[in-house]
Amino acid sequence: MRILPENKYSTKLNVNRIIGNRPLRKSLKEYARGITGGLLFSFPLLFTMEVWWAGFTATPEQLLILVLVTYLLLLGYNRYAGMRPGVSWRSIMIDSVEEMGIGVLLSFVVLFMLNRLRPGEMALSEIMGKTIIEAMAVSIGVSIGTAQLSSDDFEEEERETNEELEAEKEPGRFGMVVLAFCGAILIGGNVAPTEEVIMIAVEALPLHILLMAAASLLLSIVVVYFSDFKGTARQPSKDFFFWLTFDTCVSYLVALIASAFVLWFFGRFDGVSFWTGMQMTVVLGVLSSLGASAGRLLIK
Amino acid sequence: MTTDKAKRKHNPDEKNWLEWLVFCVSLLLLLSILGYLVYQVSSYKAQDPDVYAEAQPDPSVMAPNRYQVAVYNKGGSTAEEVITEFILYTDGKEKEKAELMTAFSPKDSKQEGWVIFSGQPSDKDSVVARIVSFKKP
Repeated sequence: MRILPENKYSTKLNVNRIIGNRPLRKSLKEYARGITGGLLFSFPLLFTMEVWWAGFTATPEQLLILVLVTYLLLLGYNRYAGMRPGVSWRSIMIDSVEEMGIGVLLSFVVLFMLNRLRPGEMALSEIMGKTIIEAMAVSIGVSIGTAQLSSDDFEEEERETNEELEAEKEPGRFGMVVLAFCGAILIGGNVAPTEEVIMIAVEALPLHILLMAAASLLLSIVVVYFSDFKGTARQPSKDFFFWLTFDTCVSYLVALIASAFVLWFFGRFDGVSFWTGMQMTVVLGVLSSLGASAGRLLIK
Repeated sequence: MTTDKAKRKHNPDEKNWLEWLVFCVSLLLLLSILGYLVYQVSSYKAQDPDVYAEAQPDPSVMAPNRYQVAVYNKGGSTAEEVITEFILYTDGKEKEKAELMTAFSPKDSKQEGWVIFSGQPSDKDSVVARIVSFKKP
C-alpha cells in the first residue's frame, strides 16, 4: 500500500511523540533514585518475618485488594507529589505501573537474596504472596524516592521555567488527604504486622489509649502547623483555628483509617472484640498520624 | 507563554525507549500477577489445613539414632504452631517419644527437621509420626 507523503510525515511525528528523545542519563538517574527510595522505605518490611508470614496467610482476595489499593495510592501520590509537574493522567498511570513493576522485581530479588524465597521448594502461592506483599511497600518507596531524592535532575534554567508548572501540582484538600493516606500507609505499614502492636494494645489501660490518641493529635499539629511554614502561610490568619482544627481532625481520621486497613490486612482484627481492634488502631495511629502529617509535607 | 515554552522544550510526557521498555516489562509483570490473583480468587475455597508428617532414619556420628522428619500441609490454608509427636517403637513396644514444633506450615509446603532418640538404633525400630496440634494463623 502506497503511503502518501502527509501520512509518512504524520507517522513520523506520532513515532516521535511516542518514542521521545528524553536523555537516557535522566531516566537512569530517576530509576537509581527510585530503587534507592524503594529500598530505603521498605527495608524494614523486607526484614520483618511477620510480613513474610503474611505472604502465605493472606487470601487471594486480600492480595488483590492490596494490589489495587497500592495502585490507587501511587496514582494519588504521583498526581499530587510527583516530580514532573504538568504530566497527563496517562503518564501518571504509566509511571505508576513502572513503579509497581520495579517494586515487584526489587522485592523478588531482595527476598531471594535473603533466602526467603526458594523456588522449587516452596509452593508458588507462598512465593507469590511474599513477593506481592513486599512489592507493594517497595513500589510506594520507589515512587517517593523518584520524586523526593532529586537534587540535580533539572538544570537551573529548567527550574525557573518550571516554577509556573509547579503551581499546577499544588494539591487542594483532596490532594492533601491522598498524600496523608500515602504517608500513613507507608509509616504505619512498617509496624502493623509486628506482634508489638497487639502487645501494647492489649496491655494498655483506657488511660494509655487516650494518651496515645492525644499524642497523635499533638504530633499532627506540630508537624503540619509548627514545622510546615509553607502550609501555615497559606492559611488566612482569621481562619487559622478553624483550619488548624479541620486539618488536624482530617489528618488523624485518615491516619486511623489507614491504620485500620493495614491491621485488617495483616489479620489483626480476626476474632477480637471491637474495643481491642480500636485499641490496636489507636496504638498504630500514633505512627500513622506522624506518617499522615509528614506525607503532606512530602509535596515540598 | 513561558509555561508553553517549557512544555514544548521539556515535555513531561516524553519517554525514551528505556522507559517504554521498563513500562512494558512492568505491565507484563503486573498483568501476570493480576491474572494469577484473579484465577486464585475465582478458584479459592476456604479449606482447613491438612497436616501430616513422615520420618526417615538419618544417623550421624554424634547422633546415631537420628531421624530426618518432614511436616507436610496438603490442605487449603496455613497451619500455625504445628506440634508433631514422634514415637519410637522397638520390637512393637513404645520406647521413646520426641516432639517437633513448626512455627508455620503454609499450604502445599514441606518443612524439614530432625528428631534425635537416645541409645543405639536397631533393626527392630520403627517411628510413628502424629500431628498433635496446630492452629490457624
